[in-house]
Amino acid sequence: MAKSDDGIHILQGLLVFGNVVIGTCGIALTAECIFFVSDPHGLYPLLEATENDDIYAAAWIGIFVGFALFALSILGIVGVIKSNRTLLLVYIILMLITYAFEMASCITAVTHRDFLTPNLFLKQMLERYQKSETVNNNDKWMTEGVTKTWDKLMLQNQCCGVLGPSDWQEYTSAFRIMHSDADFPWPRNCCVMDARGSPVNLDGCKLGVPGYYNSNGCYDAISGPMNTHAWGVAWFGFAILCWTFCVLLGTMFYWSRIEY
Amino acid sequence: MCSHWVVLVFCCLGQLCADQSLKPQVAAPQLATNNPTLTTVALEKPFCMFDSSLCPNKSYIIYLYAMKESASAISSLVTDNSSKPLDSTFQQTSGGQLGPYKAALFNVPNCASPPKLADVGDVNKVSDVLKQYLFRVGDDGTCLYDPNFLAVCNPPLAPDTTYRFKYVLLDSTEGIMKDQTLWSDPIKTRRVKLPLKIDTWPGRRSGDMIVITSILSVLVFLLLAGFLAFVSSAVMGSEGSSAETRCVSQTIEQSEQRPHLSSE
Repeated sequence: MAKSDDGIHILQGLLVFGNVVIGTCGIALTAECIFFVSDPHGLYPLLEATENDDIYAAAWIGIFVGFALFALSILGIVGVIKSNRTLLLVYIILMLITYAFEMASCITAVTHRDFLTPNLFLKQMLERYQKSETVNNNDKWMTEGVTKTWDKLMLQNQCCGVLGPSDWQEYTSAFRIMHSDADFPWPRNCCVMDARGSPVNLDGCKLGVPGYYNSNGCYDAISGPMNTHAWGVAWFGFAILCWTFCVLLGTMFYWSRIEY
Repeated sequence: MCSHWVVLVFCCLGQLCADQSLKPQVAAPQLATNNPTLTTVALEKPFCMFDSSLCPNKSYIIYLYAMKESASAISSLVTDNSSKPLDSTFQQTSGGQLGPYKAALFNVPNCASPPKLADVGDVNKVSDVLKQYLFRVGDDGTCLYDPNFLAVCNPPLAPDTTYRFKYVLLDSTEGIMKDQTLWSDPIKTRRVKLPLKIDTWPGRRSGDMIVITSILSVLVFLLLAGFLAFVSSAVMGSEGSSAETRCVSQTIEQSEQRPHLSSE
């Protein structure tokens, strides 16, 4: 009898510890997802325009799941210490629902990361950047978002185009319709700027003289933050779920061992 | 006096057998990386190409003629019968389709001290270096539509078209052609693709997506199976224990009754 008592106590201790970890990880998940949703790099308009912004949906789910995990872990600790069958049953059922939501978030984040290829951003940039004739308000909103984001990206990261400035030369674009190739082989923001925000040498920039135009592409500046976002949500969520799986199995076993 | 006459003689001889093997060249690709573009071509100015024809104390101008390669079948003459260079414009030749048009005129570049290309790195000198070293055909997008424009118009070229260029040396006082280069090698402007043709399909799934999806699906399945197993065992257990307690209470009743019977 004493041995099984000891065993139960050890199981209780382990479950309490497991729930503490789940609670703290839940808070961490909430904080991380709030950080991603706040979009520190200002890249959301690009995803919104491709209608492919599901990594943000995954982060939103992560915020609420993290908070739910924290609340449920407290319930779990109380239930384990009191050895209350009802509390633990409620805990298990709610945890399973939360588990399902978190699983959805992880899978969404990692699946939609796969869609964010250079060609996607290239096509969107060519079709939307400085597009002059927008069809409706939604189109106008997306076009303005894309234009502002690209202008900011090219200025801050000293880059041009997705793969390079040759993107503007190889493809026709909404930009090309409005601006002649002789004056604007590529947008002005592709030129190296001086302190006042005007090109250092406009002829050098137009001709492609090294040092007067940005010769590298912006894809790294876009994909870096987006990868961090998607993998942060997906893999951290996955780790939490693996741990939660063990804790839940232990809780179910414990639940079956205590008497009413 | 004597040397002056000697120079003049050599000058005239030079004009008769001018070196005609030189052609206009595209500007150095390490300097002008974006060349040719959709509608422009940057050409090197004719450094040291006409030096054998230059006489001192005379002023010269260089004309640049451009034509589409298809026009060479129609006409590729840049002068009329009296060696006067043609005054054709972009509009008159339909953008070089019917024959050469005059795209530019500028002074003879200095052969003795050409611009140093390394100076391009200096922000203060780069404008001068570029202006002295090369000329951009197709640079002016507005002169075609400006009715007040009186100078030589250099409108943008057509995309995906082959052009040829020629430099002509002109004596500015007499207005007669003194020398010309050959027609340049055919230079083609860029061709554009439509962005509709860009394929945005991501291709195969990445490894992490497969790992996460498969492992999580298995874990969820195990959790649900475990949950059902434990709940059903708890239900069975409680049924079995309630049947047991009934049996036990019955046997207790029976055992209580039997001592009564035996005592009686």
